[in-house]
Amino acid sequence: MKIVVLIKRVPDTASVFQINDAQDGIDTSRLKFVMGPYDEHAVQEAVNLKVAKDGEIVVVTLGGPDAKDKLLTALAMGADRAVLITGDGVDSLGHRGIAEALAAIVREESADIVFAGKQAVDDDGSQIPERIAEILGWSHASVITRFSLDGATATVDREIEGGQLTLEVPLPAIFTTEKGINKPAYPKLPNIMKAKKKPMDETSLESLRLSATDLCNKVSIGQMSLPRQERLTRILEGDNNTQVAELVRILKEDEKAL
Amino acid sequence: MAEIFVSMRNLNFLLYEVLNTESLCTLPYFSDHDRDIFDMILETGLALASEELYPALASMDKKAPVLESGSVRVSPVVRELLQACGEGGWIGAGASFQHGGQQLPDTLLSAVRLILGAANYSASVYPVLSTGAAQLICSFGSQELIDAYVPNMFAGLWQGTMAMTEPHAGSSLTDLKTRATPTKRGYYLLAGQKIFISCGEHDGVENVVNLMLARIEGAPAGVKGISLFVVPKLRPTTGSGLEPNDVVCTGIYHKLGYRGAPITQLEMGEHSDCRAWLVGEENHGLRYMFQMMNEARVGVGLGATAIATAAYYASLEYTKERHQGRPIMAKEPTAPQVPIIEHADVKRMLLFQRAVVEGSLSLIMYCSKLIDQVHAGPEEGRERHALLLDFLTPIAKTYPSEMGILAVSTGLQCLGGYGYCDEFPLEQYYRDARIHPIHEGTTGIQGMDLLGRKVTMKNGAAFKLFLGKVQQSIENAKKHEALQAECTQLSDALVQLQNVTGELLNLAAAGKTDLFLADATLYLEYVGIITMAWQWLLQATVAEAALANCDDEADKNFYLGKRTTCHYFFRYELPKCSALATRLLQTDGLTVKMDVGLFED
Repeated sequence: MKIVVLIKRVPDTASVFQINDAQDGIDTSRLKFVMGPYDEHAVQEAVNLKVAKDGEIVVVTLGGPDAKDKLLTALAMGADRAVLITGDGVDSLGHRGIAEALAAIVREESADIVFAGKQAVDDDGSQIPERIAEILGWSHASVITRFSLDGATATVDREIEGGQLTLEVPLPAIFTTEKGINKPAYPKLPNIMKAKKKPMDETSLESLRLSATDLCNKVSIGQMSLPRQERLTRILEGDNNTQVAELVRILKEDEKAL
Repeated sequence: MAEIFVSMRNLNFLLYEVLNTESLCTLPYFSDHDRDIFDMILETGLALASEELYPALASMDKKAPVLESGSVRVSPVVRELLQACGEGGWIGAGASFQHGGQQLPDTLLSAVRLILGAANYSASVYPVLSTGAAQLICSFGSQELIDAYVPNMFAGLWQGTMAMTEPHAGSSLTDLKTRATPTKRGYYLLAGQKIFISCGEHDGVENVVNLMLARIEGAPAGVKGISLFVVPKLRPTTGSGLEPNDVVCTGIYHKLGYRGAPITQLEMGEHSDCRAWLVGEENHGLRYMFQMMNEARVGVGLGATAIATAAYYASLEYTKERHQGRPIMAKEPTAPQVPIIEHADVKRMLLFQRAVVEGSLSLIMYCSKLIDQVHAGPEEGRERHALLLDFLTPIAKTYPSEMGILAVSTGLQCLGGYGYCDEFPLEQYYRDARIHPIHEGTTGIQGMDLLGRKVTMKNGAAFKLFLGKVQQSIENAKKHEALQAECTQLSDALVQLQNVTGELLNLAAAGKTDLFLADATLYLEYVGIITMAWQWLLQATVAEAALANCDDEADKNFYLGKRTTCHYFFRYELPKCSALATRLLQTDGLTVKMDVGLFED
């Protein structure tokens, strides 16, 4: 069985975020990057499945050379091989382009199962695995909290509002993982040391026969700003009438709440 | 709870910028490793600390271990932690591949231990104790002993301990009474009592393996008649089972702090069936134990630094958030209050903590690198590194332990009344920190070790090596404008240190050993401050070089922070040496001569 796991290198949400000078993105220079927290569950589920049913785990991501350290982490967690899609045009891809590139790898690997985190925690797009399923014409179940496999059919639970849904999904299929499906194990020291000896291949959009120009992001960010976090307490002065008048003015003009 | 308990930026600075830890990977013993592996290990250690240990900090303090029918119930976190550390390979991480370890450098593992200790000191002690005890068996035990005990200790299934102290033999190990009687069956029968044994019994593991000092019947009196034994709580049977070994936990101590780890009292041989297996040769036990003890003493300094580190970040966070008062020069009484970190005296308190915490850590990591060089460095440098390590060990144990308490106290002070309450972790840190000047050799013992042994050993070779290293650091720092005054100050301090040491050695040469050692603790404090000044100069030199080519604002702040803290240490702490030198040169023997009767009312 071939299991592909899709991961993303994302800023640690505990970081202090700042907007870049162009105000169209975050300043990444001082951020600590981690593997997407939901992706860790995806890797762990693949490792659990491998332990139970055997097979090979290929972990895949897309990005610059910095992304290698997170692939290394996935290898230390138990993945067997890693693939990095990198090089010209990768940074300019939109969601569609990223999905096409990852789908090409899934196809090339002849995967039976794909696991991915339910969402990345940077842009919260929550659409790449779904787009890949669509591109490949595969079954798909998102936000799963339990996974089991019997032959070529997976049974999964997914949380829904006020209840739980149990689905039977024929393979090949893509699953996105929710917290609670497992507890990611800490990489073991022997596995950390072995990780660097495991194969890590690099490929490019060109090698995958994809056009960066065709797949580049068509959406541009107008402006990015941080949520207001300053203390908003104001003490209104004067008699009651003055205070009420000032309060109404603030609600109407400053806060536009009326 | 504070959000941060350790600074990875500072650890990386020490590991890679000051100590060039990657260079250890050029040594054959460490050649399987590289920076990527080190970084992943640090990241995993931080995750383990943040997700498992730190959340249990307060609960392990509030629900201390309980002794019930001979068994000590500890927090469930302990079993989970030991299991995670065992499965993850953390307990045997520094051991050789041959013994099932990962041959990782102590320099890196010290950084990991700092992270774990800062998150939860009590919890971090359990795996570290097993590491030390197992390594002792690996170093001196027979292959049979290694096979029988080490794999389960490294796996986190069996707890390792060091069992030395007895009710009448604490600092004075020469008076040990636990007795070992030889048998013809390959083991000894042990009888006696041990006290203050950390983790000597608990339900987080299947078994406890005590590395215990005892006296074989007929052995010479004093320290030359002490042997080392493996004394398990449950002994392996001929099959794969375990059976009781007549070791009983008769009590646990209710402590001021460090409450998450049980300190036990053990009774051996009540039914004349406590079997003990000799480690190495008869009567060499103390020498074996002290090989581990020296590294354990650096480990105590590390533990003290870890707690003070967590306290520093908790108080730093609070001072940024707490608004009180206005700038002294501000005239407007209705102006908004400022965060208390804006006040000069609060900055002083934070600088004091930072100076102690980061200076201590720098020394500990320096010692850890010496440990690596002694174990695995080129043959020709090993003796030199061992000598310097010997000299620095009592300082690395004591300065962080004694000053760590003051640093935590200052951190608590930053929080005012809240610091005194258990809603914030400072009061726990304050209690937890108090153990360190006591265990693994009290401060008094360390003082006598430094002045009575380390300064004089090999005709003062270790002392000269230390002076040379400090002098070399001064020469390196001289090229930086911002450190000129510090270079002069430290040079002067070195001259004074040699004068003071010379005067004291004259007393020793004249046979006045009592006067020579009367103020050994003060001498240790004195050398400790000079050693810290040296470590701060080392750090500041690296920071100055980095500042010359630094564009990044955050990095610039970090390096300028290092420079300012170095200046702080030299202007606020180093001058204290003058007072100590004055007293040390008086050599009037006030404490020696004082009649104990004068303490009556």
